[in-house]
Amino acid sequence: MLMTALLILPVLLILATLIHKGGSIISAEFLFSEPTNGMTAGGIFPALYGTIWLVAVALMISVPLGVAAALYLSEYAGDNWFTRIINLAIINLAGVPSIVHALFGVGAFVLFFGFGTSILAASLTLAIMTLPLIIVATKESLQAVPHAFREACWNMGATRWQTIRKVVLPNAVSGILTGVILEVSRTTGETAPIMFTGAAFFLPFLPESVFDQTMALSLHLYVVATQVPNVPDELPYGVALVLIAIVLLMNSLSIAFRMWLRGRKKW
Amino acid sequence: MRSKQLSYVLAGAIVAAFGSVAEARTLIQNKGSDTLVNVAQAWAEEYRKVDPEVAVAVTGGGSGTGIAAMINGTVDIANASRKMKDKEMKLAKDNGQNPIEHIVGYDAIAVFVHMDNPMDEVDIKALAEIYGEGGETQNWADLGIEVPGCKNQEMVLVSRQNNSGTYAYFRKAVLGKARDYKLGTRDMHGSKDVVDLVEKTPCAIGYSGLAYATDHIKMPCVSKDGGACVTPSVATASDGSYPVARPLMMYTNGEPEGEVKAYLDWILSDVGQCIISDKGYAPVRDVSCN
Repeated sequence: MLMTALLILPVLLILATLIHKGGSIISAEFLFSEPTNGMTAGGIFPALYGTIWLVAVALMISVPLGVAAALYLSEYAGDNWFTRIINLAIINLAGVPSIVHALFGVGAFVLFFGFGTSILAASLTLAIMTLPLIIVATKESLQAVPHAFREACWNMGATRWQTIRKVVLPNAVSGILTGVILEVSRTTGETAPIMFTGAAFFLPFLPESVFDQTMALSLHLYVVATQVPNVPDELPYGVALVLIAIVLLMNSLSIAFRMWLRGRKKW
Repeated sequence: MRSKQLSYVLAGAIVAAFGSVAEARTLIQNKGSDTLVNVAQAWAEEYRKVDPEVAVAVTGGGSGTGIAAMINGTVDIANASRKMKDKEMKLAKDNGQNPIEHIVGYDAIAVFVHMDNPMDEVDIKALAEIYGEGGETQNWADLGIEVPGCKNQEMVLVSRQNNSGTYAYFRKAVLGKARDYKLGTRDMHGSKDVVDLVEKTPCAIGYSGLAYATDHIKMPCVSKDGGACVTPSVATASDGSYPVARPLMMYTNGEPEGEVKAYLDWILSDVGQCIISDKGYAPVRDVSCN
């Protein structure tokens, strides 16, 4: 009990500090206006907007790919050397530091594929970095669906794909969703992978396509905290607060959605 | 399945909503020096009022980062607080790039110490002994100075990471080309970090562009070869009397044309030069700003 309380303490302390030091700057104007006066005043809208872009595009790439990979590994693949190598690769991919992903992103997407520093290159980098999260979460939730369900379905004459689509996936949605939300949280906060692949220090316009560069909240926080002189103290704290709020909001939404799904479960 | 469909719908809606605001514009990619990044940002912010059709995307990372991007041909303008080396120039030429240098301002590298530090002046030779490999000066006591609040009087040397133009220039101007920095310097990732650390550390000495100086830090005057001791300022950097001042450069690929030329011309105009002066750097010529 005491240990559990201790676990909550850092979260509360971080939130309290951020709200205490940065809460005063948060307003609709702060959220929806552009930075002015050499980024020492004004709002954070371009960064907020850019983060939504980066996360959305990264999800569009990694969710279909990750879920498909997990389906194959969990439902189709036999236990042979090939599968074991793939599983090993996934675990290793999860352990690669984000800055290494960044370098890979620069080499592969920015230079080799010629996407330039763009949302596409940054989101692809983020997607690859977060693929293991989705794959592992999906695989685990697929395996949590009792095998008897599948057998019952097969005995009714359903094909393997029909079984997956009508029985296995609907029962695994909440777990898959957890993976997606974890990915959103992680993608929102990452700085290193986007720094060289798509995020700009300052951009006087909002991105309009995936081939544009963008500002991003995480990099903006790094910039106002370490690069720009004479920033008022509450500004970096305010940016950090918004960043944390997005992550907490996404997490609570997913928890609510999962509880709703679980309530409908009949086993 | 539901979550997948949901995420498709969400993502699709977001992209559709964002995609609908299209307008014609020219993009200028501007990347490099952390010393110049804040001025570059200020220029970019102001230039959209001059020409709303042109957008300047600014990215930092260091002079080395900007020059590498110029070599790879991924930027329109590379910012650098040092000249391109012959080797880099050759690499660029081999890649079919033709970097042309434009001086857009001057920067005085100030030496910073803690507010409580009694040091008021320092000679370049003394600085070389402090920062240079094999240098004699290890303690503040070696300079005959006693710094209040500094345990053991041991100097904390604050420097920059090695792809920084400030790092390269300070080395050339103070240590001389062949001499390396002492081991054990604290290498910071930005000029602002240097200032922040020195502000909080009584034992520390650091260097950075004058533009990063704050009111909570002390800047001793600097003398060279026994000459007059000059306090770093925009004026002393402009007239060349401050011994550790360097040109700030923007590199373009070939002679600038079109929008890039218009942007550079505007940077060198009175308005652009007043912005750089306002940020604490010296303009390329005398301008009267209000």
